[in-house]
Amino acid sequence: MNAYFTAAVTGLAAGSAYALLGVCAVFTYRLVAVVNFVGAAIGATGAFAFAMLAEEGLPLWLSALGGVIIGAAVSVAVGAIMTRWFADSPASTKAAVAVALLVGLVAVGLRITGGQHPHDFPALIGGSAFRLAGVEVTKASVATLLLALAFTLAANLFLNRSHTGLQLRALSERPVAAELIGIPVHMLSLWVWAVGGAATAFALILIAPQRAPNFLTLSLLVVPALAAALISFFRNFWSTLFGGVAMGMMEGLATVIPGLGEYRTAVPLVVILVVLLWSQRGARWDDAR
Amino acid sequence: MMRANLHSALVVAIATLAVGGVLIGVLPSYWIYLATAVLITAVSLLSLGVVEGRTGMISLCQLSFAGVGAWTVGYLNVAGAPGGLPLWIVIGGLTAVPFGVAVGLPALRLRGINLAIVTLGFASAFDAILAANTFPGQTQFQQVQRPEGFDSDQGYFLFVLIVFALIAGSLELIAGSRLGSSWLAIRHSERAAAAHGVGIPSAKLRAIAISAFVAGVAGGLLAGYLGTLVADNFTMLGSLVLFAVATMAGARNAEGAIVGGALVTLFPELLRRLDLPQDLGNVLFAVGAVQALSSGETMSEGLRRAFGRLWSQRAVGAAALDHADLPPRRDHGDRPVLTVRGLTVRYGAVVALENVCFDVPALGVIGLIGPNGAGKSTFIDAVTGFLPRYEGHIELHGRPLESQLAHRRARLGVRRTWQTNRIAPDLSLGTYLTLASGSLTAAQLRAALVWIGCPDAGQKVAKVDAGTRRLLDVAGVVAARPALVLLDEPAAGQSYDEALRLAKRIAEIPELFGSAVLLVDHDMDLVRAACACVTVLDSGKVIASGPTVKVLELPAVKTAYLGIDESEVP
Amino acid sequence: MSAFTVTDLVINRAGLPVVRKASVVVEPGSISVLLGANGAGKTTLLEGLSGVVAVAGGSIELQGEAIQGLRPGARARKGLAHVEQGRTVFRMLTTHENLLAASQRADVDQAYALFPELEKRRHVRAGLLSGGEQQMLVIARALLTRPKTIMIDEMSASLAPIIVSRLMAAVRKLAEDGLAVLLVEQFAALSLSIGDRAYVMRRGRIVYDGPCPALAQSPDLLHRLYLGDSAAS
Repeated sequence: MNAYFTAAVTGLAAGSAYALLGVCAVFTYRLVAVVNFVGAAIGATGAFAFAMLAEEGLPLWLSALGGVIIGAAVSVAVGAIMTRWFADSPASTKAAVAVALLVGLVAVGLRITGGQHPHDFPALIGGSAFRLAGVEVTKASVATLLLALAFTLAANLFLNRSHTGLQLRALSERPVAAELIGIPVHMLSLWVWAVGGAATAFALILIAPQRAPNFLTLSLLVVPALAAALISFFRNFWSTLFGGVAMGMMEGLATVIPGLGEYRTAVPLVVILVVLLWSQRGARWDDAR
Repeated sequence: MMRANLHSALVVAIATLAVGGVLIGVLPSYWIYLATAVLITAVSLLSLGVVEGRTGMISLCQLSFAGVGAWTVGYLNVAGAPGGLPLWIVIGGLTAVPFGVAVGLPALRLRGINLAIVTLGFASAFDAILAANTFPGQTQFQQVQRPEGFDSDQGYFLFVLIVFALIAGSLELIAGSRLGSSWLAIRHSERAAAAHGVGIPSAKLRAIAISAFVAGVAGGLLAGYLGTLVADNFTMLGSLVLFAVATMAGARNAEGAIVGGALVTLFPELLRRLDLPQDLGNVLFAVGAVQALSSGETMSEGLRRAFGRLWSQRAVGAAALDHADLPPRRDHGDRPVLTVRGLTVRYGAVVALENVCFDVPALGVIGLIGPNGAGKSTFIDAVTGFLPRYEGHIELHGRPLESQLAHRRARLGVRRTWQTNRIAPDLSLGTYLTLASGSLTAAQLRAALVWIGCPDAGQKVAKVDAGTRRLLDVAGVVAARPALVLLDEPAAGQSYDEALRLAKRIAEIPELFGSAVLLVDHDMDLVRAACACVTVLDSGKVIASGPTVKVLELPAVKTAYLGIDESEVP
Repeated sequence: MSAFTVTDLVINRAGLPVVRKASVVVEPGSISVLLGANGAGKTTLLEGLSGVVAVAGGSIELQGEAIQGLRPGARARKGLAHVEQGRTVFRMLTTHENLLAASQRADVDQAYALFPELEKRRHVRAGLLSGGEQQMLVIARALLTRPKTIMIDEMSASLAPIIVSRLMAAVRKLAEDGLAVLLVEQFAALSLSIGDRAYVMRRGRIVYDGPCPALAQSPDLLHRLYLGDSAAS
């Protein structure tokens, strides 16, 4: 029993990452109606920018700031493409665009960050926080989890209490009516992309030292992120948060069950299948058409 | 229709073989080797063409299906199974099908995005499975045996060419069939497809299954090509790149698939010769895909457009109509076709329809009119099965429709047209009519089109203007000769003369085709000319019913439309 | 202040001509009523004026300034408000939040002054309001953008006559305060009683342009314009 508990705790680090990335995906979907396949890749851009700035000798926190800004900037560029050419397109077209952009960004990212020597990823928040069930829980994991919690709380607060959040809620419900009463639809959308990009970049800056710091593997974190978001059907921050953590812990558990260890990356798929089968119960027509 | 289908399938197959044959004679071995890779990639692109190009579903794990096929071939090879590679690749394809079905089934009834997410999840999981299992025979240095006689580079190229031609030809056959047209219809509008009696989940599942099969075959071909394979050949990133290329080149047909295959294989080669980094090819594919998505046109569609001719026709009555050529009249009996009792529809606190009762008699042409917000569209949605729930009873020839889904009601004999245009632009007028009405002879198709006033059957819907598409919508449901035809604002945007011409056609429907008609419109000229009787709805209730001219003179009707109470006027 | 002038507007929707050379004028401080049966093109006309749909020909001038090249948001900022048909409240937001979405400033209270009924429903989700309350809300929300011209599409649809009267009285007051009002309606009676100038639209064309009282006095003419001619068919 103890072994299982230990295994679950090891999954906590990954779970916090999935939770945070999932919450960012829900944020993006709710406000600009795009399933963001390219989200993790955008974050990876910021993370590698951080690593390269740190290599140049910049102090760590300054490098982190640089990485976050670059992540936000790349995200705004993606958002600009979406709003300029695909504002009125159906959801599946926007998804296809996101997938295409993912392919392009990964190609560029691998080219810039690959090459002769792998990049050294300094831990922004290094060291051990505490030991739980005999497992060392790093400060970075704790920080990631706290960041996920903070982002969820902040997103909820922001949307429900601030004027801009109000405008965003109006915009996501009826974009045309919102524009007609003077809400700056275009600018607000870009702002949402910027925030999403910044948060994802910061998340990956925290997470990257613990995972293989390869542009591709970081970008493919989009899979568990979307699985976590799907748990709440892209609607609710809290269930995505808990779902993401739970997914990480399930992955941790899989490592100690004999025979399943190598297949733990299949956990997101299982989660997705279960969620979809659960929601099959009512047949639904494909949106507008 | 079948003959034309077979004809185009053969053209595709033979053209491919001919070009390939020429290439074998002309190109040196190295280029033949590359050309083989082009063809194999083209096969995997064809698989995406079925599921995404035709049916509009995003699938991000095609290479994983290919991996299933490849590994199956590997096992069969090591086991020394009989049949050789030609049989093994078929088995490999069939092995991939259950994976496709398992992945696609949960997402079938939900929004399209969900399939993208689940296939991505599958690709990610499959990467892990492949990484944990070496290719069969690899450790013993046992290569996959090519078929006898097709051993050399030229020989294997010929083998792959034959397989590609067979697959492309078969897909072209399917594309021209009702299943293929339903895929295109589903891509454009699922509701409209269901209204023609297409079972949506079943059609989608077949697309996924066929796509998985073709991808599996591609994997098997790759196994024979390289002899031994690694997990790297079938990564998730590879599937994503394939998706981008398919979106850019347009993998729906053979030439698009080949263009895509050439891009994937030859572009990196070009970059290598120019001493540029090879993976920048993916950037090109990304840009190309985004460009194709924003312009709505893939490379192969652009090529077709450049070589084809552009014209738009609105030929009205150009050919003479022989009534004997029309699809034969169906006799649906004398009982009332539609019986509605106590129909009530609520959206939360709003009552859209309240206790609506009325009948459509056999061979009747009834108008349903009313001011905006009266509930006319809600009524049609209720009768045709596009409302999740309602109270009351709706019966077709005495048979209750309550438990029947939309596509079942269509098959039982209730067909409808739509206010907004929902006809897939890639279809031709003839294919659309066939989709809507079942199999008709070429003469019947032609006659139906002339009758309603559309151009000829070979014309693509994309080239035809919106008013003609409305007429085509009407022709489609009428040619099916159902018990009841529901026309939802067919005259929108038409001039007075066009509306009157349409009214004459509508009035002829019972006599020529045997169907009863329920016409919903607010064009009074149309309603007056076409309908013997009208029912008037106001705020969800029936306020008048009877012969058209009398009803339109009723004070209550005038009040409903104009808000003027005649008694108040001095 | 000059008028809101629309000249020879042409709008095509999916290839179909829906508005065929329509010309309309609205003077400040007056109400122009645009009538017509459903499908005549009235809503499309308004959407072309506010920029929601593209216009294929003609000109739109707001106080002498041509606005047909501007995006809807820009036109709103220049003083053109469009209250769409269908009561497009933000259903998940409360009444008060709906108003705040249009303006952050204290003049939200003016909205409650115009429609005291809304004050009582301040914290109710807009999706749960009655039809009449929702209509008041969308009008009040549009007014918070401080427009010079306001276009209202079918505000009386599905509402009881007594509520329609209430709304019409409020609209009359807006005109008296100097706004140029373009009122689009299917139901002629009440709107003609408060309007100054009447237009009737049929199949995309303006088939009548004259003073409201004259049209209100001739129901036969109105019937012919709406429902067509029984004698002719």
